[in-house]
Amino acid sequence: MGQKISNTSSKRTQNSSFLSFLKRFSPQKPSLDKIVLPRKGVLAKLITPPANKSSDFTRIISDCISFASTRTQEYLVFKDPEGKFQPSPQTLTQVFLMTYMTQSVNQDLTEAFNCTAMTPEQRILLGADWVWAILEKPTKNPKIQIAVQVLHLPDREEAEERAAARKPVSESIQMAQMESRNQNAYERMVDFCTSIGKDCYALFLFFGKRDDKENIYGVLSNNFEAAVGKYDRIDRALIENFLKGLKYFHTPLGMMQAIFTKKTDEALTLMIKFS
Amino acid sequence: MELYGKMAATQDVKGKGEGGDQNFDYMFKLLIIGNSSVGKTSFLFRYADDAFTSAFVSTVGIDFKVKTVYKNDKRIKLQIWDTAGQERYRTITTAYYRGAMGFILMYDITNEESFGAVQDWSTQIKTYSWDNAQVVLAGNKCDMEEERVVSVDSGRLLAEQLGFEFFETSAKDNINVKQTFERLVDLICDKMSESLDTDPAVTTGAPTTKLTDSAPPLQQPGCNC
Ligand SMILES: Nc1nc2c(ncn2[C@@H]2O[C@H](COP(=O)(O)OP(=O)(O)OP(=O)(O)O)[C@@H](O)[C@H]2O)c(=O)[nH]1
Ligand SMILES: [Mg+2]
Repeated sequence: MGQKISNTSSKRTQNSSFLSFLKRFSPQKPSLDKIVLPRKGVLAKLITPPANKSSDFTRIISDCISFASTRTQEYLVFKDPEGKFQPSPQTLTQVFLMTYMTQSVNQDLTEAFNCTAMTPEQRILLGADWVWAILEKPTKNPKIQIAVQVLHLPDREEAEERAAARKPVSESIQMAQMESRNQNAYERMVDFCTSIGKDCYALFLFFGKRDDKENIYGVLSNNFEAAVGKYDRIDRALIENFLKGLKYFHTPLGMMQAIFTKKTDEALTLMIKFS
Repeated sequence: MELYGKMAATQDVKGKGEGGDQNFDYMFKLLIIGNSSVGKTSFLFRYADDAFTSAFVSTVGIDFKVKTVYKNDKRIKLQIWDTAGQERYRTITTAYYRGAMGFILMYDITNEESFGAVQDWSTQIKTYSWDNAQVVLAGNKCDMEEERVVSVDSGRLLAEQLGFEFFETSAKDNINVKQTFERLVDLICDKMSESLDTDPAVTTGAPTTKLTDSAPPLQQPGCNC
């Protein structure tokens, strides 16, 4: 393409070559191979109207996240009348992810904002359950990432651990645990995000917290490493402390807006209520 | 901890296990590196699970798989690390170079830029890994002959200049995938027996080094290959 344009400009004056350049890319003569036709969902909204571009985009993302949170909450508050059965932590995480993924595919979101579920090994190595990424337009490289780790209520987690203790652990999981033995999962995720930079956030997603077991909360920050300096270790108590005594929480929409409007290299920490 | 402990114990008695439940004789840590989208994940997926998918899911950070191979009656466990090629993960991926015994450095024969980056990747190996690490250069996607922009000869020449072995491969059509890993294992085994010959500490039967990430077991007995 570049080749062709420079050939043209060598034959004509600069001015007309500029005009021909304009013509080549003029939207007045739409041709199928150059102009992406509006599609359903987010792409259509991205193309028309351009003024609301990013606000619409953030709204669609946050709608998908809210939708998944609401669905997950239904299962979170579920109680077996006989008190015998309860969904495992893993099931709740899966419900969230499945609902979110289905929704984001329906909304045609995945080209611009994708969600990568971690493999079991990655979950241990990086401490994340999944990673959201805002993708740069032509390259599809991540521009901003949110690594998410789900935290479950302690009693639910203990029940899971008891069940897991009876099952054999695969060799590669043992190796992953061995590789990461010096840090807990919170620290691993913070390390992972810090190694990428300020455009990678860690989001600890609480499926219920101690004083409100029926709602979903989150602590999001690109600056957890600051806590590493102050405290010996990052643990659940430290992260849950961010949520203590707060009256005002961000909404998922507020979270996405804050991420989008933040300046590069700025620190950002938010507490969010998802359900 | 347990796995490494067992391995070290096995080596202390020169390859003869103390009986019981250990399930391998050696463990090699291998890394696959190269630009994003050259096919590293696909290559490992083909080797470990004999599968291929054409959808592209760019790797986040790092991942690994385990595969056991047999060589001269020895069970060799390969811990194969699949690194993310994207620049933003460079800090985390290079942290895993330490202690790697072998690298597969991959480019895409249909992508000039990925070939141009080979030199830089090779420098990364020199900077972050240990001197005796073995490297195989792999020109992947050789099934896409029509879209080829890097000739076999320029691949081979570059490998020679860098002192690496060379294969053209296809994760899609399963060409030279197994061969690439087998060659890398052979090279590591050769290196191990070489240092066994030259290191007096080993021949006098005083293997004291504890096996850790930073001290690969090269000065330990070789794998008889
Ligand atoms: N034709 C062909 N396509 C391939 C081959 N190997 C991989 N691909 C495709 O190339 C794309 C990228 O492959 P990946 O294995 O995900 O690339 P990667 O090197 O792991 O990329 P990162 O994780 O971003 O570093 C995918 O769409 C694969 O299907 C091959 O041998 N032949
Ligand atoms: Mg990959």
